[in-house]
Amino acid sequence: MQIAVCIKQVPTREWQPRLDDARTWIREQDASFEMNEPDAYALEASLRLKEKHGGEVVVCSAGPARVAQVVREALARGADRAIHVEDDRLGSADAFVVAEALAGAMKDERFDLVLTGLQSDDQGFAQTGVVLAERLGLPHATIIMDVQVDVQGVPGESTPAVRVKRELEGGWFQWVAMPLPAVLTIQSGINQLRYATLKGIMAAKKKEIRKVTPAAFAPRQKIVSIYVPEKGKKTQMIAGSPAEAAKELVRRLREEARVI
Amino acid sequence: MERETLEVDVLIVGGGPAGLSAALRLAQLQKAAGERLSIAVLEKAREAGAHMLSGAVLDPSSLRDLVPDFEAKGAPLATPVREDRVYFLTRNGKIKFPFTPPPLTNHGNYIISLNKLVKWLAGLVESEGIDVFTGFPGADILMDGDRVLGVRTGDRGIDKHGERKTTFESGVDIHGKVTIFADGVRGNLTKELVRRLGLASADHPQLFAIGIKELWDVPPDRVRAGTVIHTMGYPLRFEEFGGGFIYAMPEGQLSVGFVAGLDYKDPMFDPHVAFNQFKRHPLVRGLLDGGQMVRYGAKALPEGGWYAIPRCYADGALIVGDAAGFMNSMRLKGIHLAMRSGMQAAETAFDALRAGDTSAARLRQFERKINDGPVRRELYPVRNVHQMFGYGLLAGLAYSGLSLVTGGWWFAPIGSEPGHDRMETLAHYHGRSGRAIPGAGTNAIKPDRRLTFDTLTNVHYSGTRHDEDQPVHLLVQTDVCHTICTEEYGNPCERFCPANVYEMIVKEGAGRQLQINASNCVHCKTCDIMDPYQVITWVPPEGGGGPRYDGM
Repeated sequence: MQIAVCIKQVPTREWQPRLDDARTWIREQDASFEMNEPDAYALEASLRLKEKHGGEVVVCSAGPARVAQVVREALARGADRAIHVEDDRLGSADAFVVAEALAGAMKDERFDLVLTGLQSDDQGFAQTGVVLAERLGLPHATIIMDVQVDVQGVPGESTPAVRVKRELEGGWFQWVAMPLPAVLTIQSGINQLRYATLKGIMAAKKKEIRKVTPAAFAPRQKIVSIYVPEKGKKTQMIAGSPAEAAKELVRRLREEARVI
Repeated sequence: MERETLEVDVLIVGGGPAGLSAALRLAQLQKAAGERLSIAVLEKAREAGAHMLSGAVLDPSSLRDLVPDFEAKGAPLATPVREDRVYFLTRNGKIKFPFTPPPLTNHGNYIISLNKLVKWLAGLVESEGIDVFTGFPGADILMDGDRVLGVRTGDRGIDKHGERKTTFESGVDIHGKVTIFADGVRGNLTKELVRRLGLASADHPQLFAIGIKELWDVPPDRVRAGTVIHTMGYPLRFEEFGGGFIYAMPEGQLSVGFVAGLDYKDPMFDPHVAFNQFKRHPLVRGLLDGGQMVRYGAKALPEGGWYAIPRCYADGALIVGDAAGFMNSMRLKGIHLAMRSGMQAAETAFDALRAGDTSAARLRQFERKINDGPVRRELYPVRNVHQMFGYGLLAGLAYSGLSLVTGGWWFAPIGSEPGHDRMETLAHYHGRSGRAIPGAGTNAIKPDRRLTFDTLTNVHYSGTRHDEDQPVHLLVQTDVCHTICTEEYGNPCERFCPANVYEMIVKEGAGRQLQINASNCVHCKTCDIMDPYQVITWVPPEGGGGPRYDGM
């Protein structure tokens, strides 16, 4: 099975975001970067599928040269080769542009399955996988908790298929059968991430990273401004006897703050 | 259990300036000789440079020898030093030294981010085809009798109860014909090696200090880029060793830090509070006001100097950099000595491998290289300086001045005791026992969260992260804490830890107990050094954990 896994490099959460002078993006020069967390789970899922069904896992990433860090990490964990769509503008681009750039580089590869993380930890559109599916002309399913490839196919149909478990609201799940090839966006935390081994790191150096320049660049949206939310803190004192105060506290938490 | 093994010619443990300089030198030597060695570098941080913390002012002498075209290769040197200023601080005032003491003259040096320099060095090393394995700490030394065979990396995937998770990966045994220990100040492996082989002198134990630093963005017109400021005096008392530093980089970036000797007497002394007091001094406040703190970090530094350096060679092993204590505490510099010792260790290892003899007798050549070269030339004349500061600031300063004239001569090598032994009990120092003094230190102040911060806020700015579900990596004999330590020393771990790892909490039914917030640990090693009972042992947490010192 040919599996593609799309990985984004995002600023680490331990870093206090700081804005650039134009206040339209973060100061990248003092940010630390890492693999987008949901994408790490997508990578793990794709490696497990490969272990079960054979084939190849190809890492696809769109971004500036710095993205090589997460590409190498994915190769060290066991992906077979990589495609890096390289352009500085991709660092802060919207989901449409990124999906377009990825699709351009991926369309000739004939993947059976394309996995992405559910959403990115930085811009959080949760759209890249969906738009990518559209651009590749493939069906998609989102918020995936489990992937079961059925090589025999759905009864009555001849094409190979996949059964996926989707997370719904309120603790509900849904199983969906769909034909392959398909695009799936993977939820965080669905499996245990493996470590890169010493041998994996050494092997990664010999793996192919194909660099691709994106063809057209047509952003449809631009960031007008970003800002750090103002912190607001209000302390309210509730008077009365402990029993009354507790009652009033519960009432306000329930009716005003709506947290219980 | 099946354990992965790896055989290499040279194993370098630690990817800091010493370890990477050793790797790069080896690459150059093998290229010149037309040979091909297998070389591996282990680094516990997730990424090269992530655990690097220094002031830092770089003396470029070693860099120039290692990478002669360092400028063309884009070495990230923030700015040449343009101006030195040294002040003696009083509570609200300052006295400028009429001239800069020669050891503190930085003409020809550069202000750098050590994090950036090491990232750059790692790139050079990797482009030579050498494997830099980041995220792999050395957990144990592999030995056969007195011979070092290599290092075992830490297990990964163990939960907080010590049970294996499904992702468990056992540590790898890496065998090297020569193992170069570059595991930094109070390195966990070097500590073990020195103990097992008896490499250190009892009269001259290593002495340490803790450095706490923040990176600030301030309006660019505050202070000219290239300005180096050092201070003595306030907030320290005469009995305490240390001082502050401010290094100005382009675009309004300032490195602001404070170094305090880990040989203070007052158990209630708090280095982090001293750092905050330093920042509140008019001199510093004036530079920082309206600016923004960007990053925070802390690290111990070896201050003992020449006599405190252990024997740095053994069968199959060499010790370099801060792990050995190659630092000049008078010039406040060690990066160039770390690099030089790494380079000379590489040369020694290379010759030994070619001769097919990596015994201690052969590797002793390293000592000769150090003795005949720039390291001794620089460290020997200041061999007694830090020890003399053990007699107080005035004695230290007087002797520092004298040593410039006499070449460091004194009647005999000045001995010293380990810093933690100098800490006095509450009863002795304050004339009362632990119960009388609540948690706050002698010098406690309330942080304003603009200029000064509490340690917890600060830790947040160090980018520190550890997998929460792993065993505590600070091995503490906790039965001492709530019993005798509270009474005798008032639990100084709560104060000397710059990352809020140690907290005495009251547990219902169990009374006062030590809580170890291990995931806050910034790997500075202060607790391993300064705890008065020596019941804290720092061992590496799961690979990849720790701070992220980007730009530091």
